Amino acid sequence: MITIAIGKGRMQESALALLARAGIRLNDGVNSRRLAMMDETGQYRFIFVKPADVPVYVEHGIADCGIVGRDVLLESEADLLLPLDLGISRCRIVVAAADANAMTNVQGMIRVATKYAQIARAHFGARGIPVEIIQLSGSVELAPALGLADMIVDLVETGVTLRENGLTVVEEIAESTGRLVVNRASYQLKSVEVARLVSVLEAVV
Amino acid sequence: MTSRIPAGMRYYIGAEARLRRTVEDVAMSVFQAWNYEEVITPSVDYYDLFEQGMGQREAQRGFRFTDNDGRLLALRPDVTSSVARMAATLLAERPRPLRFCYAAPVFRQQTQSHAEWRRENTQLGCELIGTGGKPADLEVLRLAAEILSRLNLQSHYCITINNVEIFNGVAAHLNLGESAREQLRRLIDTRETAELQRFLKNYDSAEARSFSQPTQLTGKRNVIQAARNTITNTRSLAALESLEELWTEVESLGFENSFEIDLGDVSSLDYYTGLSLKIFVHGAGASVGRGGRYDGLTGSFGRAEPAVGFVLNLDALTEVLGRNIAQER
Repeated sequence: MITIAIGKGRMQESALALLARAGIRLNDGVNSRRLAMMDETGQYRFIFVKPADVPVYVEHGIADCGIVGRDVLLESEADLLLPLDLGISRCRIVVAAADANAMTNVQGMIRVATKYAQIARAHFGARGIPVEIIQLSGSVELAPALGLADMIVDLVETGVTLRENGLTVVEEIAESTGRLVVNRASYQLKSVEVARLVSVLEAVV
Repeated sequence: MTSRIPAGMRYYIGAEARLRRTVEDVAMSVFQAWNYEEVITPSVDYYDLFEQGMGQREAQRGFRFTDNDGRLLALRPDVTSSVARMAATLLAERPRPLRFCYAAPVFRQQTQSHAEWRRENTQLGCELIGTGGKPADLEVLRLAAEILSRLNLQSHYCITINNVEIFNGVAAHLNLGESAREQLRRLIDTRETAELQRFLKNYDSAEARSFSQPTQLTGKRNVIQAARNTITNTRSLAALESLEELWTEVESLGFENSFEIDLGDVSSLDYYTGLSLKIFVHGAGASVGRGGRYDGLTGSFGRAEPAVGFVLNLDALTEVLGRNIAQER
């Protein structure tokens, strides 16, 4: 049996739909509120955790595999194997600001509000731009309008939320899609089961 | 006085401390039965030693401080560097081969919140210096297997073996620059199939395909046969040949169920020069040991000679065994 951690929320529905296409279906209804359940065949156990916790469960080997967005992986810097891009929940990690020329117009230290402190620090750091990171846990789009920050680094799917808050994309940092991640020890110790999961998912991606 | 304990440090009390000591005793008795002499190396040494021995990236994880004369010291982040220096200097005149074993704590800074959070780990290790080739490689593999089975982990462990020259040969054949080589290494290490294939598309050579299917890099003898279909450079082929010979020996010992070939183990290329191995145990989320051949190391202390060894992480093993015992109750 292998344990698969799935991030609750945005990714959950498309991950379960993908698994169903690969012939892996949950035993209980999808709408159940239980946080751990088996698939119909008893080969897979699913645990549902906060997206940011998926790399934690997998790196510790509590879950053998996980399905999680690349944005979360970049932020966690966990040491995991990433055998498959599942192509689900496609979105972009961007720098956005009210002023389209903000990168050149801001004087001195740039203040950046974000949920993704690591990604933001790495992005600006690689270009030698000094920034003050303001870590928020939600509604990041509000920060520039209220004067908390000059820019934000955030995930964008359609761009509607950005526009409604008067923000435009200044730079794209990376594209993010759902990934299959695997624990390094499980990859060796449960190699047959992991290879089977990778191949059934690969066939439907 | 503070009641806090620094991150990555811990106590062992009573039964857990006894279990830990038992594990240590088992490993040391196996080493000694194979004629490995115990060595106790200094806990504090010049930082230069470790930089020379482990490379800068690993050595800088050591805890550093300064000596009275201003020279940089470190709390040892590994034992191998010190043993290699000893072999090349103090024991330069001793007849070869040298066989040494140790049980010693090492200290490394860790990125917080990762699975490998401990900053003090005790390494159970051995080094076989002054003899090369298949018999020496096989000897350390047999030692590792014997310790694990004496710990009742028979059929609960997996040792992966690779020869780093297979990757090095392909990288040289593709004429990769330093950053492209590092990118390829990283993509293979994390098995990022899609990115790997995109990267390799830039190289118009059959060799480029040899690492393009990560799932085909791990397995038994079939892995070597599959690699031969694409690899043509002599350096990689020679390494494949010696890996296959080693695998044949593993099979003839009846170990093939506990061993695996993993051509994708490219995590420490700068350190190992031939065989590299990793040890996994059910119940531990990360590898509990690693090792390989490091023929380049003693040369940096003035006496180049072949050497091979491995370490097991005593703390990780104790944790797994402790949990197994608790589950049996």
